[in-house]
Amino acid sequence: MPGFFRFLDDIALADMAFDAEGESLPALFDAATRALIESLADPVTIAEAWQHTVDMEEPDIDTLLFEWLGRLVYLKDAQGVVFHRATLSLNQNDARTAWHLHAELTGAPVDPATQDLRSDVKGVTKHLYAVTQEGASWKARVVLDV
Amino acid sequence: MKLNTDMQVVKINDYLWEIPPSEKPGMLVPARIYASAAILGAMDRGVFDQVTNVACLPGIHRYALCMPDGHWGYGFPIGGVAAFNPEDGVISPGGVGYDINCGMRLIRTDLSLSEVQPKLELLMTELFRRVPAGVGSRGFVNLSRRDFRDVMRQGAGWCIANGYGWEEDLERIEERGCLEGADPTHVTDYAVERGINQLGTLGSGNHYLEIQVLSDKSIYDRATAAAMGLTGRDQVVLMVHCGSRGFGHQVASDYLKVFEKAMRRYGIFVKDQQLACAPFRSPEGQEYFGAMNCAANTAFANRQVITHRIREAFEAVFGESASRLGMQLIYDVAHNIAKVERYRDGEWLVHRKGATRAFGPGSPELPACYRGIGQPVICGGSMETGSYLLVGTDRAMQDTFGSTMHGSGRTMSRAQAKRTVRGEQLMRDMKQHGILVKAVSMSGLAEEAGFAYKNISDVVETVDYAGITKKVAELKPIGNIKG
Repeated sequence: MPGFFRFLDDIALADMAFDAEGESLPALFDAATRALIESLADPVTIAEAWQHTVDMEEPDIDTLLFEWLGRLVYLKDAQGVVFHRATLSLNQNDARTAWHLHAELTGAPVDPATQDLRSDVKGVTKHLYAVTQEGASWKARVVLDV
Repeated sequence: MKLNTDMQVVKINDYLWEIPPSEKPGMLVPARIYASAAILGAMDRGVFDQVTNVACLPGIHRYALCMPDGHWGYGFPIGGVAAFNPEDGVISPGGVGYDINCGMRLIRTDLSLSEVQPKLELLMTELFRRVPAGVGSRGFVNLSRRDFRDVMRQGAGWCIANGYGWEEDLERIEERGCLEGADPTHVTDYAVERGINQLGTLGSGNHYLEIQVLSDKSIYDRATAAAMGLTGRDQVVLMVHCGSRGFGHQVASDYLKVFEKAMRRYGIFVKDQQLACAPFRSPEGQEYFGAMNCAANTAFANRQVITHRIREAFEAVFGESASRLGMQLIYDVAHNIAKVERYRDGEWLVHRKGATRAFGPGSPELPACYRGIGQPVICGGSMETGSYLLVGTDRAMQDTFGSTMHGSGRTMSRAQAKRTVRGEQLMRDMKQHGILVKAVSMSGLAEEAGFAYKNISDVVETVDYAGITKKVAELKPIGNIKG
């Protein structure tokens, strides 16, 4: 089942915050990724003219999600793109010492004439940042600096 | 008076309040908040929690301060000021802000409203075309990596050397637009790749380029205004608010990670992860300082290139050179920075996060043209209400490490503002009130509606009565460009 997210009103007055939730870690990552993508622009208005693959490895899931979201912000500026979709796969190594994320991104160069652009997110912050498991459900709270 | 804190807040005078060190374990100095009773009562809980957290940082000197435009921030509150002993104190990215050297710039003209109004639409179109704004915007200056390293080291001076401005601009920029000690070897490739294409761009959020008008009745100190080339009579000026864009943010993010590890090594414990810090004289502290100065210099260069593009737009629309149009820079000042500054009681590493340097008359750091009146302080209000020009005072030098407010401060979240008004409607309403708006994002525009901010006049009255800056003039918008 896909995860979901909701933007939060009363956290980070001058910035943006969201909660993401999923019944599995991949669903959580998918929901948090969609929240960030939709913060930047309406993905419906973004073509799939640009493709990019990312592979990342971190020792724990909290760090992996934080670094992944930060990578999206970096790609937005460094490549001058906004995103349509991210297809993710998530694995833990056999020794259970690291998590690996493989992401296939699509999007297009920024074009205000054809795209519904939203906020120029500058970064992911550690303020209130948390990834938690409650029963079978995974949750993350993320505050974005705009 | 009901406050959003359980801590004891002692009244020093009508515009200054103190939280004694006994109110939180670990406080090394008192926390002081500049505010009227009404502003203090409306301050969010984060201000009280965060300014007292800052008072716990190693090496802090005299007070942790918060200005009347203060509200919750990352680590330090917005409006936070703190000075540290450079020998045994710390440096913290949370005391500078993610947008390193976010700042304000004000440019005068000899044009009046009656001359600009008939061409305002055309002028706005030209400015919008020449000064990119919004998500992923890229500047017109193509830089090699070597060029970008030169920008990091030389700041606004690089722009002047490459034809983007006038030599005389430099003396009217804080630190002549170039902080010493910038060291590009301490900047990551990620930061470089984010910043290399962004020179001359506004960004989004609360950043803007505004055409403003100074009427006769909006001048509070005519002699001081005249010393800055402002005479009123519906004079048109330009205000720019932006910073180091993605580059500065990446520098801050990179070093927060470095400092989280360094704190364990140095045995430093902080109340909030976003206050991660390191001893200023440690290798990590000096590396951040070198990288932060690179970002600060890039922000000075960013505002300088934008000034060049503004002058080009005016030349195109009015068919006169920018110098004949009288487009001198009045001043450029940072409001997110950490610098070593000399005061009567010694040399201190001053962090200003959403706070403006406000050096008083006679300060040797000021150019000759302003040494008699004090440093110009530029405070941006919301895009619907207007902005203020003030000057620094001796009182600021004595009490606030030469610092004052920076803007009006938000009171409503971005999401709530968007639910209250649509960008298209706000644009129409503002046009009816005589303010033309060009924005890349309609939702971004709605987030910046005037009702989402404090009344800047109330904030300005506080710093004026408190004596840490004096009002010179109020500036009203007629055109606003946003990301």
